[in-house]
Amino acid sequence: MAGWMNLSRVRSTLRAMLRRGRFEDGMQDELRFHLDQYVEDLVSSGVPPEEATRRARLEFGSMDIVKDDCRQARGLRLLDELRQDLRYALRLLRKTPGFTFTALATLALCIGANLTIFAVVNSVLLRPLPFPDADRLVRVFNTYPKAQVLDDGASIANYYERRGHIPAFSGVAQYREGTTIVGDAGSTQREFISQVTPDFFATLGLEPVKGRAFTDAETTNQTNKVVILTDVYWRQHFNADPNVIGRTIRVADIENQIVGVLPPEFSYLSSKAQLYFPYASGPDQRQSAQRHWGSNSQMIARLAPGATLAEAQAQIDTNNVAMEKFNSQAKMMAEAAFRTMVVPLHADHVASIRPTLLMLQAGAFCLLLIGAVNLINLLLIRASARVRELAVRQALGASRRHVISAVLVETTVLTIVGGVLGLIVGDMGVRALSVLGTDRLPLGTHIAFDARLGVVAVAGAIVLGIALGLPIAWFNLRALGGLRMESRSGTASRAAQRLRHAFVIAQTALAFVLLSAAGLLALSLNHAMTVSPGFRADHVLSGQISLPGKRFPTPATGIAFVDRLVGELRQEPGVQAVGIVTNVPLSGNDIKSSVTVKGYVPKPGEPPYGLYSYSVGGDYFTAMGFTLSEGRFLTGADSYRTDRVCVVDEDFARRYWPAANRVALGHQVWEGSEAHADSEAYTIVGVVAPAKQGHVTDENAQGAIYYPYGHRPDSQMFVVTRTSVPPELFGNTLQQRVRVIDPALPVNDIKTMDTRITESLVTRRSPALLAATFSALALLLTAIGTYGVLSYAVAQRRREIGLRMALGAHPQQIRAQFLGITLRLFAIGAAIGVAGAWLTGHAIQNILFHVPAIHLATLATTAAVLAIVAIAACLSPSHRAATISPMEALTEE
Amino acid sequence: MGKNADLLPGTLDMLILKAVSLKPLHGYGVLLRIRQISGEALDIPQGSLYPALYRLEHQGLISADWGQSENGRRAKYYTVTAAGRRRLREETEGWNRLAAAIAAALKTTPDEV
Repeated sequence: MAGWMNLSRVRSTLRAMLRRGRFEDGMQDELRFHLDQYVEDLVSSGVPPEEATRRARLEFGSMDIVKDDCRQARGLRLLDELRQDLRYALRLLRKTPGFTFTALATLALCIGANLTIFAVVNSVLLRPLPFPDADRLVRVFNTYPKAQVLDDGASIANYYERRGHIPAFSGVAQYREGTTIVGDAGSTQREFISQVTPDFFATLGLEPVKGRAFTDAETTNQTNKVVILTDVYWRQHFNADPNVIGRTIRVADIENQIVGVLPPEFSYLSSKAQLYFPYASGPDQRQSAQRHWGSNSQMIARLAPGATLAEAQAQIDTNNVAMEKFNSQAKMMAEAAFRTMVVPLHADHVASIRPTLLMLQAGAFCLLLIGAVNLINLLLIRASARVRELAVRQALGASRRHVISAVLVETTVLTIVGGVLGLIVGDMGVRALSVLGTDRLPLGTHIAFDARLGVVAVAGAIVLGIALGLPIAWFNLRALGGLRMESRSGTASRAAQRLRHAFVIAQTALAFVLLSAAGLLALSLNHAMTVSPGFRADHVLSGQISLPGKRFPTPATGIAFVDRLVGELRQEPGVQAVGIVTNVPLSGNDIKSSVTVKGYVPKPGEPPYGLYSYSVGGDYFTAMGFTLSEGRFLTGADSYRTDRVCVVDEDFARRYWPAANRVALGHQVWEGSEAHADSEAYTIVGVVAPAKQGHVTDENAQGAIYYPYGHRPDSQMFVVTRTSVPPELFGNTLQQRVRVIDPALPVNDIKTMDTRITESLVTRRSPALLAATFSALALLLTAIGTYGVLSYAVAQRRREIGLRMALGAHPQQIRAQFLGITLRLFAIGAAIGVAGAWLTGHAIQNILFHVPAIHLATLATTAAVLAIVAIAACLSPSHRAATISPMEALTEE
Repeated sequence: MGKNADLLPGTLDMLILKAVSLKPLHGYGVLLRIRQISGEALDIPQGSLYPALYRLEHQGLISADWGQSENGRRAKYYTVTAAGRRRLREETEGWNRLAAAIAAALKTTPDEV
């Protein structure tokens, strides 16, 4: 009932507001009617007409006051007042363009910085994945923590074990991402693809809009020649042909029939896949004996209605126990602490970037606080100058409520305009971020500046406007109270001064925290950049080649291709060394497998151990710039030797022969976790310095082993060249050389190794750059704040200073006095800032690299920079104070 | 106006509701009706009548419609709504309780204490 009543009141106000003319006319008519009737009655009772009119007017009272009361009764007066306040605020802001500009610039930058980061936070962390009930999607992966293999995805055998056997899952699906060559000879292109099980789309909840999903019949290696297109691919390559179903495309030299097209909104995590193929497997791969062979394959599932993550985890654990009974390697897996984890898909995907994003949002918010404090101080100073005007307004009938609303309207107008400008800054910020490479972050391609941010910006601006206005309103009321008690420069101005000083302290402390955090991040980045990747990255170009099985059916054809490619590239002018490797460091993939060292007896309970394993051809080590510790590098010739040789890195050698030095050479190892015939063992002929494999900031001395390509061929490889010319210029030659050997073979992902290093630091560089930008802004704002407050203090104390000068005070003493105020405020702010920096350092410890949370040099530098800024900001006001002429100051006013 | 009783604060709304609950009235009619039903004892200050009418309409206790007055002029007529009737009943009960209590209190003699 009450709700309905309120609604009807809102309606009544709205009606009157929207039809304001009719409301006013009606009111005029009604009151007119009343007066006329009264006059008529008086006349008929014998009063002369003129006297009657006079009496009616008199008894009715002022028509304007009655009307105004009626308007108020209808809720219109508030709106009228608001309009008045608005007009007044705009006039005031126009009158002080300097202040208005400073305020708007501050707000635009601070709000813009927050919106930029919030756009990323919203797109990456907050917005659900674009699937129905996306929070029910989970990822399921195998982990072997004691073997240092934390995340090994899941195997296709796992998929067949679990499909239909985990009641807590309403759907389970498996997928594997990769690339393939699409098109007819001469116009081939490499495309990102994903191989998915038939239930993949149903599990996600988004099925093809044209055609159909895959069927179980299409999951064998003989029947998998079907393909589903993404909407983008369909539009770009088939001109959005409505009859595309049934047409074919050539994939790795084999015709594949198009059976479906996905909806435009389909976007799976950060996948770049344009084409979807069935995940084909043979009966042998589906057996439980193969359950630990993940081979870069991932499992997702959808929780059944009502099922919880914990239930799913328990059922998976039970299922694992049952399945491991049939597994010959069960003991070894148990020693590696094998377990299968069920985790929320979205959270898992963005887990690596989450702390960084939250830290940046906190940093941006810190900047906003500094900006807000700054504005409050500027507004307070302005308010002090307007106390008299305010008193006049109040004397003319402005109520207390009016004093408050006038201030709130003014600050809110400022913040809303600032918010709109902030949207523009934020939009530019998001664009600038993409230059920094945010599209390589998890879900980075989803980052967009959408309408929701506009709503957030305006709502935030209104809240900010009120937050800024309240202290000013409080000050105004106090000041008016003070005026009434005839002590204009009494308590109110002292309280206001204390408030201003407190705000300068707060600003200094916040800037201190921001600056020191930026320092820690910059130091981390610097450490990460100066970390040696383990090879000489300069002048090295690398590109990916994938040999299609149809044209390179046997290992021998692959070996022949490699030999020819290396041989021809070596002839090119400017080339110093050429090699191939199955995976370059920092490519983003890591391929680990275990080895068995002859004569090495594992300690009881020692788990199997995953090592980075590579096959290399040509002069890979020379081309990549590895450092040889002992023995020799592998060369192209090693591929043809009957006795097998290999090279390991120092981490490998240290792991198996920790005590002794230089004993790795001559030892023999087998690939895999079991010993084989002696003829299959590889003899270690060289030890190289360890290279960073996954990330430049990898701290794990994991160990690596390099086999000759001829003995361990692979269809996936990177060609690596070291040139005397800048490597960027060599890309075309590389591409052309490959085309000469095989016209249908593209080279992908051509990048210098320097670029790969830079890219692998994107999650460090962008935050450090942003934090530095925020800090620079914070410093500027702090300088403005300190300057403003001191300037005002000087202006306010002109008489006092003049008097003291007249009594013989030295200008130096005056100068020192203001410097003293500045330094005192700075010292308190810095002390609070150190505490804040301590907390912040601990909070961001996990994203720092080789930097302690408390870094004394950073703290000292921060303090020094802030002190310089504070002193610089007080130079001009204190100089003005010191040059006040006693006569002038005393005769003023 | 010496013979008139002063209007207690808060009673104007009640009187207006009562007046229009008897018959739809225009503003001037409300004034006359209150004077009439109070036996000429209550005289509403004319300036405060209209804000009160607007407030009651805003609260949904009365509704207004334009119509013809007795002498053929366009006039705004007020009618009580269901919510207004309910409010009038509540206020009447409250008033009666208050009046009875005050009357009882004022009748008290020294020996009853």
